[in-house]
Amino acid sequence: MDPVSKPLDPRQLPLLLQGEASLIGEWIERREGARVLFQIVVIVLGAGLFGAAVGSWRDPMQSLFLAIKLPLILGLTAAGNGLLNGMLAPLLGLNISFRQSLLLVLMSFTISSAILAAFSPIVFFMLWNTPTTAISGSAFYIALLLNVAIIAFAGIAASVRLLALLQRLSGDRGIAMKVLFAWLAGNLFLGAQISWNLRPFIGSPEMEVQFMRDDAFAGTFYESIFRVLHGLITQI
Amino acid sequence: MNENFPAPPNPADGGPNPPELDAVANEAAPIKGPADCVESLLREPGRILFQLGQKDGPRLVATLLGIALGCSLIYGSIVGLFSRGEQIYYAPIKIAVGLPLSGLICLPSLYIFAALGGSKARLADVLGLLAGLLALSSIMLIGFAPVAWIFSESTQSLAMMGALHFGFWFIAVYFGLKFLHAGFRRTQMRASEGVSVWMVIFVIVALQMTTALRPILGTADTVLPTEKRFFLAHWAENLRINANYKAPAANAPATR
Repeated sequence: MDPVSKPLDPRQLPLLLQGEASLIGEWIERREGARVLFQIVVIVLGAGLFGAAVGSWRDPMQSLFLAIKLPLILGLTAAGNGLLNGMLAPLLGLNISFRQSLLLVLMSFTISSAILAAFSPIVFFMLWNTPTTAISGSAFYIALLLNVAIIAFAGIAASVRLLALLQRLSGDRGIAMKVLFAWLAGNLFLGAQISWNLRPFIGSPEMEVQFMRDDAFAGTFYESIFRVLHGLITQI
Repeated sequence: MNENFPAPPNPADGGPNPPELDAVANEAAPIKGPADCVESLLREPGRILFQLGQKDGPRLVATLLGIALGCSLIYGSIVGLFSRGEQIYYAPIKIAVGLPLSGLICLPSLYIFAALGGSKARLADVLGLLAGLLALSSIMLIGFAPVAWIFSESTQSLAMMGALHFGFWFIAVYFGLKFLHAGFRRTQMRASEGVSVWMVIFVIVALQMTTALRPILGTADTVLPTEKRFFLAHWAENLRINANYKAPAANAPATR
């Protein structure tokens, strides 16, 4: 029996976090636009709150920009890979529809966003205590690492929940692992590029506060990684 | 009864249990239109394989080839967006022509390799499987199209985009080849090594086709090449040009 029959009931959030696979399995079977809307609201608020906390270190305007950009990255990644994820699932042995695959990815992003929201006061506090002139200081890097660790934790926790759900739907851990790996690889690949296009995030103090850099579409994330690695190798 | 593409053996009989193909209850249900065909390729490949051997098989093959053509044109348009200009028209045409042409070139050898492996498939059946391979891989490319478009808008590096498109194509063809392999397993093929060798040949032919029809991603003075070249030599030259070319972003400061 579904204890949260109303799609807009906020009590469904803890159930998502607890990974109630049977209940979530029922949700994705239904066509409930309101439940999707609820999840989108959680993503916008959760990732937005975390973004605002991270951006607050640089400037209030950067805070606003980041509050918009983080949910935008999640949304664009889910939309950009939606078709591919929907194709990969049945090809890898999990016979679900495009709508269901999109809902599953959305649910995992909802879990990540809820976790990010929960950590945003800590991030805000840490960055508030870090002087803005400390861009090269150890305190800044500790704060930066903290952010990365929180984002990684949110992503891993959501993936673990998603794996349990995929396993329940497929009835096979191997298939669930393959689908999860394929989805994660695709989302990370595209998500990294969209993040690169929508930079800056924390923002260097010597550069002006902008929603997007003037050269946002000049180059890719992977080219920049290649350049950094190339530079490191040539210095050795 | 479908003699060429019978349903997979029942696991209860002690036969192999291919997860992609078994547990399909409605393989006998006819395939109605391209949308149903796409759905079946992704979710119920066994249905396609069964229907290929029915009296409507030739029509299904035509549908599969039509899907491959349509999807190749769409993905080709995304490829053409990188260089824009005339490539917006030429890239989709070249991809839509090149992929089936690669398949056609390799069709006789596929039939021979399959027969050597003990397969009872007729040439028409092999054509059906090949059409399925082309259709499924082209559909997969459509799934990659939004990602490819974002990268097309972000980079000016020919090498980067070339590697990306080839990466996507390899993944798409992997699933297409899985379909082909599953199909041959239904044709009493005893040894699959020959078909595995053919798969390598097909990939090499398709890669060479991209060089024979160049430029597809970049630009040139002529629509088709005036000089013959092996695809590895063509890639090496492009990588050399790319290494000497400094994109504006290369000098941009690292931004946080």
